[in-house]
Amino acid sequence: MKQTLILFMQDEPGVLNRISSLVRRRNFNIESIVAGRTEKKGITRMTLVVNEPDMTKQKTIINNIKRLVEIYDVVDATGQDCHIREHALVKISIEDKDKKEIDKLVSSGNCKILDSDKNAMILELSGNESTVEDTIKTLKRYNILELLRSGKMAMISGNKDKHKPKLIKSSPYWEG
Amino acid sequence: MQKRILTGAEIIWECLIREGVEVVFGYPGGAILPAYDALNKYSDSVHHVLTRHEQGATHMADGYARASGKVGVAIGTSGPGAANMITGLATAMMDSSPIVCITGQVPRPAIGSDAFQEMDISGAVIPVTKHSYLVMDIQDLAPTIKEAFAIARSGRPGPVLIDIPKDLQAEEFEFLYPEGQVLIPGENPIKSDIDSFELDQAVEMISEAKKPVILAGHGVLISGASEEVISLSEKSGIPISWTLLGSGAVPSSHPLNMGMMGMHGEFAANNAIHNADLLIACGMRFDDRVTGNTKTYSPDSKKIHIEVDPSEINKNVKVDLAINGDLKFVLKNLLPKVKEKKNKAWYKQVSEWRDESASRDIINMDTEILYGAQVISDLWKETNGDAIVVSDVGQHQMLEAQYYKHDEPNTLLTSGGLGTMGFSLPAAIGASFANRDKDIWVIVGDGSIQMTITELATAVQENSNIKVAIINNGYLGMVRQWQQLFYDSRYSETPISSPDYVKLSEAYGLKGYRVYSRDQISDTIKKVQKINGPSLIEFVVEKHDMVYPMVPAGANLDEMISRPVHEQFEDAEM
Repeated sequence: MKQTLILFMQDEPGVLNRISSLVRRRNFNIESIVAGRTEKKGITRMTLVVNEPDMTKQKTIINNIKRLVEIYDVVDATGQDCHIREHALVKISIEDKDKKEIDKLVSSGNCKILDSDKNAMILELSGNESTVEDTIKTLKRYNILELLRSGKMAMISGNKDKHKPKLIKSSPYWEG
Repeated sequence: MQKRILTGAEIIWECLIREGVEVVFGYPGGAILPAYDALNKYSDSVHHVLTRHEQGATHMADGYARASGKVGVAIGTSGPGAANMITGLATAMMDSSPIVCITGQVPRPAIGSDAFQEMDISGAVIPVTKHSYLVMDIQDLAPTIKEAFAIARSGRPGPVLIDIPKDLQAEEFEFLYPEGQVLIPGENPIKSDIDSFELDQAVEMISEAKKPVILAGHGVLISGASEEVISLSEKSGIPISWTLLGSGAVPSSHPLNMGMMGMHGEFAANNAIHNADLLIACGMRFDDRVTGNTKTYSPDSKKIHIEVDPSEINKNVKVDLAINGDLKFVLKNLLPKVKEKKNKAWYKQVSEWRDESASRDIINMDTEILYGAQVISDLWKETNGDAIVVSDVGQHQMLEAQYYKHDEPNTLLTSGGLGTMGFSLPAAIGASFANRDKDIWVIVGDGSIQMTITELATAVQENSNIKVAIINNGYLGMVRQWQQLFYDSRYSETPISSPDYVKLSEAYGLKGYRVYSRDQISDTIKKVQKINGPSLIEFVVEKHDMVYPMVPAGANLDEMISRPVHEQFEDAEM
């Protein structure tokens, strides 16, 4: 089963290194990683899509990530009402006869033309997982010269407290 | 208050002193020169132990931490100095030992240029530390050191590395030790509330169980929960078995203590675990050396896991009830709810298993040749079981766990998780700074001692009160044992020669003895007990001895090879 995790971390050099090191050494199966700045200064947000069939390992992934000092919180978006979007750039070689078909594809709304000359075209694809996947499949009938996918970004619908990350620092000590 | 302008190097020592550091283990070099220069000013407050290798420094810090319960500190230079620390960091990480390593780094403008002795150590140690830092701004220095100590000692303890560029050590800055609490984003604090539903469930499972076993791990020692574990065991009639690092968590002399579990665990303990209907795992992580085949591990039992680190829950063995929290705290809350109970039939069964195994034991036999087990059993008797023992890795380590009957917590220091050969001698030197009341014995094989034997010089220089017992069988014995059992006795590269340890001791400046037979053991131990300072005894033992019982890797716990009645070795060739 695919797990979609949203990670909130300190915007510090090396933090991405720590996540990728963890993923590699624990042997987790990762499908995509996307990270970027957020509305809050000093906080980086990452969408991590994990493809881990083992149910117990799925929980371990979250707990392992939470152990990292620079991680504020992990929100599990799996199974939530959630928008997962992806971008892709595709460069294809074309002939004149293909142009009509491409126009049709563009008018369907799943891609737009960024750049076009006599024999090559750059298309920008965006949408949810399946539209990007399907559009790429459609484009395979042409000669794909270059393909670039951004990885998946996720945002949960609504404004529920349970989906809000804990973005506060706390003491590592325990006063028991 | 008057402003204090200090150099980065001085700030390092000021911070260490405020963290309660009295001793550091280290080795100077180019990129850490400013810190060593500043040490002259602070040498009244901090004692520096010059090691002979940076790996030794990290093991000393680790041994000190394990024996004292405080954070151990190792210090070294950039590049190779830092790289030599990686083994020690990984050892401390696997065994949850709190150490802080401080390394010098090339000056900031040179970082990334492949400068002389440059290495990205804060990046390289990510997989083997709780956290690592490269300090790039002098104003971060003091807060970073304070944070590093907090991370090392809090929660599930572990190692932290701080890399400090040379030019930053020379830079001047106003010194203010950060007041107030350390606050960090992650490393979630231990849960201080326990779900009463979880406790009720545990109580019910305990009251229903007819064949329960408590598994005591290292967490019992770290949490200081020995008393609570014993109370639970006595109140509900539950026999206890312990992991290697849980040795001493429960007195060996306690009637409900069955001994070690796992690959070289006791027959009774492994049988009990395999046949149990309830396991209560306390501060342990179901390591493969403990479980054997996880698919068939304790197949009929329900499992309760009380553990501080949530990432350990359901990692290796799936459990029925997990209680995440500090062990002592959880048990204190659980104990009043637990009903008094005696599992008489179960106890009788366990006792029978125990007697069956003991009757075959080599320590009770007269043999012509000396056996490792006999040495350790006699050492235990001669020291009244009251020494701190630091064991290395191999056959002698398992024999120590079986035959040195620890009655007190934190009296066995050993590299359990990583199995780092060469750990014992430096770790014992470190421990000698933490505990000056007890004798400290190193139990080490002829392979392991030769990995870090250079630290004998450190022991002499510091006049460390350690006694080194080398169990010499002329082989890398544990590997040889596997070759005999699983590789048709093809002893590939396991016979190993040794120097003359008595002469070597003399050359290093300590007293050395050699023992060939059992009747020499007592007198020789008595001789070295009178020595104040380092000493060494080489015990020449049977070459082809094996450690039993043994559960072959990946087998079920009840498929163990028992102790033989008595083995003859005529067929074996050297």
